Amino acid sequence: MSETPEFEPKIVAFVCNWCTYLGADLAGTTRLEYPSNVRIIRLPCTGRIDFNLIIKAFEMGADSVLVSGCHPGDCHYTAGNFHARRRWILFRQLLQAVGFDLDRIYFTWISAAEGHKWQQTVKEITEKTRKMGLYRDLYRVSGTDGLKLESSVPAAASEPLAGEDALRESCSRLLAEGKVKVVIGYGKRGPVFVTRPEDAAQLVWNNQCLANLTVYLKRKEIRALGRPAIVVKGCDERALVVLEKESQIDRKEMHVIGMACKGMGQEKCAACDVHVPRFADEVIGEAEQKTADASERQKSLEALLTLPPAARMAYWVREFDRCVKCYACRQVCPMCYCERCLVEKNRPVVIEPSATVKGNFAWHIMRAFHLAGRCVGCDECTRACPAGIDLRLLNLSLAKAAEENFGYRAGMDPKAEPLIGTYSLQDKENFIR
Amino acid sequence: MAEWITQGKRVAGPRQAKPGCVLYGSLESSSQLALEGFIRPANSIKEFIFPKYEPLYGYQIKGNGVEFREVEQPAGELVVLAARPCDAASLPILDHVFNWDYKDELYNRRRQSASIVTLACAAHDEACFCTSVGLGPAAERGSDAMLVDLGGGEYEVRLLTEKGKALFDGKLQASERVASIPPGPEKRFDAKRVRTFVEEHFESSFWPSQTLACLGCGACAYTCPTCHCFDIVDEGNIERGVRARNWDSCQFTLFTLHASGHNPRGNQPSRQRQRIDHKFRIYPEKFGEILCTGCGNCTRNCPVGMGVLSVLAEIDHA
Repeated sequence: MSETPEFEPKIVAFVCNWCTYLGADLAGTTRLEYPSNVRIIRLPCTGRIDFNLIIKAFEMGADSVLVSGCHPGDCHYTAGNFHARRRWILFRQLLQAVGFDLDRIYFTWISAAEGHKWQQTVKEITEKTRKMGLYRDLYRVSGTDGLKLESSVPAAASEPLAGEDALRESCSRLLAEGKVKVVIGYGKRGPVFVTRPEDAAQLVWNNQCLANLTVYLKRKEIRALGRPAIVVKGCDERALVVLEKESQIDRKEMHVIGMACKGMGQEKCAACDVHVPRFADEVIGEAEQKTADASERQKSLEALLTLPPAARMAYWVREFDRCVKCYACRQVCPMCYCERCLVEKNRPVVIEPSATVKGNFAWHIMRAFHLAGRCVGCDECTRACPAGIDLRLLNLSLAKAAEENFGYRAGMDPKAEPLIGTYSLQDKENFIR
Repeated sequence: MAEWITQGKRVAGPRQAKPGCVLYGSLESSSQLALEGFIRPANSIKEFIFPKYEPLYGYQIKGNGVEFREVEQPAGELVVLAARPCDAASLPILDHVFNWDYKDELYNRRRQSASIVTLACAAHDEACFCTSVGLGPAAERGSDAMLVDLGGGEYEVRLLTEKGKALFDGKLQASERVASIPPGPEKRFDAKRVRTFVEEHFESSFWPSQTLACLGCGACAYTCPTCHCFDIVDEGNIERGVRARNWDSCQFTLFTLHASGHNPRGNQPSRQRQRIDHKFRIYPEKFGEILCTGCGNCTRNCPVGMGVLSVLAEIDHA
């Protein structure tokens, strides 16, 4: 029998064209030896790395991945690396929740003059990876069902809640006075669009009023009806704040009816701190504005994070196995307003449209990350999923990173700058060497 | 069931995915089979005959030519246990379209190697409407055997086909107890009337007014036992890849988008109309049957409370 050949780790390095690539080049021209385990992929800037490339590297057999760019302040494009830093703070948390091993993902700043640092970094990563061994956990189901997440079963339709009459009255008046042309509200079965004052009785207010109606504000069939009044709960209203910040809606062009809400019995309601809408044109009903700390909001995520990475990945493999790519998660999301979703681009294919393990991981990671710092936690994706996948956990992981690192919660403060698209010189970089 | 598994058969049936969510899935042991506490699984058994993702063949570009590679075919027989009658009935309906101008090898192979053991429905909910499309809680169409609950863990077994007889050969005991089948849901609409209505109302304000809430996801189509549209995609890199068949839904904007940029169904109401039109007029015209078994999955899974039933009930009143 032949001897087992020693394990040679494969390392993929995504480096920027202007600093690290030249640093690696310098290492070569000054004859500094470094392990040949690293495969360099040159990109314009770390700020433009599509995160699915990292995942693709693992799919194609990488044992570790390195991302490296210019030192802060040295970016060829002025601020690309600052954007990269901020995005990575968030993305690392998502990768962790999905079950990637963060010990296999490295981030460094290496300048064009730092041939030595490149040599040291590559040596170190190669040795560490060699010790960790082959990366086998990608998309692998290991062990038994590791996580039993409790999920709330929707309560049966109940009696009207206080405020239903006032809501109907107000809507009827708005329509009669011609202040609005349509009221986007809740009906017996689901969302209704009331255009005549005498139809205001179709509106209901009970514990089945779950949908986040702000999703309709961007739909052309609804816009065609004319100036809207929209019924929102405190949680839905956060979507209005984000949509306005992203220049998707004009608050002056609508009337917002806020419903004070004591909770609808959903998981998110237990840790809700926006029971009373804060920016609505009128608020109907009364509810106590409670405070809740972050740990309470992230309870279900914490349960997932106590598992080791391989078990977390196994959990998602099982969950995503049920995904049929019906895109209900995307369609109900007020933040998913792209005219054409990335998954629908096929020249070339960016996200594989098939509902396979690979295709589903790529889709859910991409969608979650596109909602980084934007998701308002309305939980509609989780409610809409016919396969019962707890998509909220992905969103919570990004919300956790946003809150812990930037004290930011989407849709809470209309004055706050959007999280992605801005940066601060003070952003944390304890994960970057 | 354990015996079927040891015989090398694959077994599938309702299984709890999480509290409040039961889906058809493959079963490794009988303890995973969910029998009570729900009306019907949120998906359908079409997954086992017409899967959401099916590789057709592999290809590799070599020089100026292309080399093709067969893909592995599903091995062994499959028993779908405790399917609902509305699921079983979908298979003979789907047989038409998969064996019409082209005989679909992959579909037929899976269909032949599958036996359907149905469990007659003991309960129904507001979304159920099997009786409106000519079926019922113990409709036998498409089943190889039917179980009817006698209570106390015993079932009356009705053997309906040779496949069904083979499955239960020597496993049954005679009993004098006779199962009673509870009534199905009340009739909710008249299918003939629906057909006439869609024939006469292609351009009508009815569609926009009834379908405003629709957000255009595929939850209805993908959990429907009879929806069978698919898309063909090539996935791979510049050298090699796989050509595969994926589910598709008429509710998506891209479903009818032409390469020119023109979209004959440019808005959601026209897509909703298509769904009803196909199920209640086009399919009956072509194959003589309604493309709907009244399972109600579209209603239960719709995030905005729509579904075939809500539209049809409105048509019936129109």
